[in-house]
Amino acid sequence: MTTTDLRPRTQPTRPPTEQDGGRGKRLGEKSFVFLLLLPGLVLLLAVVLYPLVRSLISAFFKESLLYPGTTFVGFANIMDVLKDDFGQLFSQTLIFTVGSTVLSFLLGMALALVLNQRFRGRTVLRGAFLIPWLVPGVVVSFLWMWIFDANYGVLNGVLQELHIIDHPIAWLFNTGTARGALIIAKSWNSFPWMMVMILAGLQTVPGELHEAAAMDGAGTIRRFFTVTWPHISGVAGLVVLLELIWNFQHFDTIFVLTGGGPAGTTQTFATQVYDTAFKGYDLGHAGALGLLWMVLLMVLVVVYVTFSERGEKKEKAR
Amino acid sequence: MTALDVEATGVETAHSAGKTRTRSRRRPRWGTWIALAVLVLFAFLPLYWLVVTSLTPNTQAFSYPPRLFPTQITFDNFATIFRTPAIFRYLQNSVIVSVITAVLSVAISMYMGYAFSKFRFRGRKSLMYFVLSSQMFPQALLLVTLYVVFAQFHLLNTYFALILSFTTFTLPLCVWMLKGFFDALPDDLIEAAKIDGAGPWRTFHSVILPLAAPGLVAAGLFAFVRGWNDFMFALTLAGPDKQTLPPGLVNMFITESSTAWPALMAASLLVSVPVSVAFIALQRFLVGGVTAGAVKG
Repeated sequence: MTTTDLRPRTQPTRPPTEQDGGRGKRLGEKSFVFLLLLPGLVLLLAVVLYPLVRSLISAFFKESLLYPGTTFVGFANIMDVLKDDFGQLFSQTLIFTVGSTVLSFLLGMALALVLNQRFRGRTVLRGAFLIPWLVPGVVVSFLWMWIFDANYGVLNGVLQELHIIDHPIAWLFNTGTARGALIIAKSWNSFPWMMVMILAGLQTVPGELHEAAAMDGAGTIRRFFTVTWPHISGVAGLVVLLELIWNFQHFDTIFVLTGGGPAGTTQTFATQVYDTAFKGYDLGHAGALGLLWMVLLMVLVVVYVTFSERGEKKEKAR
Repeated sequence: MTALDVEATGVETAHSAGKTRTRSRRRPRWGTWIALAVLVLFAFLPLYWLVVTSLTPNTQAFSYPPRLFPTQITFDNFATIFRTPAIFRYLQNSVIVSVITAVLSVAISMYMGYAFSKFRFRGRKSLMYFVLSSQMFPQALLLVTLYVVFAQFHLLNTYFALILSFTTFTLPLCVWMLKGFFDALPDDLIEAAKIDGAGPWRTFHSVILPLAAPGLVAAGLFAFVRGWNDFMFALTLAGPDKQTLPPGLVNMFITESSTAWPALMAASLLVSVPVSVAFIALQRFLVGGVTAGAVKG
């Protein structure tokens, strides 16, 4: 009746590797595991891998949403994209990605450090601070669009009241401010998530270490870098990487808030691919754009996988 | 443990509580309070403005400078959106799509998570990384091809197209979360069930699943939120009949000339509240689930 092969986790096993598979197993278990995995794998292959591969292939064809048929064009689409606006698109995507990630990380880290301290009402605050993260992306866009509104926006109102600006500014239609406005809106949406994750990391810092360091005369900042940071650097690195990956392909806020404008200065890969396919009907160019985008994204993903594998090894070594 | 329910676990009392308290008593930290004040303003002023605008009559909302504390309060904006028949159709679509997505995602990812958690097989690691990294492929790119494929099979403007894509996109997170929950269950349980003569399916369904119920709830809610909040796929794959609330609201309220801000804020509030309430009520399970997946990496 050995249909399941179980290795208790506590047992000092070697890390599960490829060789583990076939070793003396009954057909029964293999097919059980296969059936467990089957539905999920079918979905992932059909809805993620197949479309991905197909859209990357379309980079080498002249293909349109409007009429059927494809013509092989080799690298023509890719050359077109590289010649056109690739550099600008890349730098704009990078500004948005890095800007949003850094701002939300700093806010999330600050909030986590504050909420990790003992004071009345912090549990309630921890829950309440999640709300900006729970608000649907479209609502985030609506809300900030209204706040940044050129004619009736509350931001202009407050800043004028405080005599910081002397006339209303069209934040979203001004090439100098639109990117900053987007980054603020996106960071407002994502810093609570950073807070949650970093707070989880902070719970692993033993209090005695702080106590000891304080007795040795280490100040708050010194203690942060010598005691706290080593315990949370793993989580911090992970959330920053994940946020970079997500922001690199973020769509909603940009599409609704600025639509890529003014004058295309907030256009990123995500919105440009969308526009090329669904407004320009040009699948070939969208695919070419996507191919280049994927290459850049893969770099981030490889970093992520290496990073989390290293973390896993560290975990095991402990 | 989790970030939010740590008080209950006693972990903190064990190693940091008492000491942190004495330390903070020794020196009041002005920096902490200032930082908290700034963060509270940044996080909650926009939410305050969302609520206030939804309660402000049009005449006051469109005056400049805007009043931070309106002198008139009205529920007309909510009445206005409820008089719009389209909103009920969007709401119905949102509920249908999100609920089915949640149920399907949990049903599929629990088997996958179980396989990754309790069995060692050839290619396990590679498959896990494939599942994990599939959530990082650019969705705007996938959307383009999915649109073409769905068009070929005449599946555009159907619930099916939305449910199929949302379910797949939530799988990585759900599998990861549920794997974490199964990891926490002792293997002896399975061993014991086996001795009692239960087959692998029976063991999973009647022994393991009931114990993983909090995890199933958490994963289900995440999948629900994914469907509820999505904009890009619903906008593109669903026509006016099957459109969910987020793209529906854009169509209803954002026009070239003017935007009915108070009504739009009221509608935004209605879209955001159910999810937020559910989430905060269940945060105990949820935050544990997310962090378990990611912190352990």
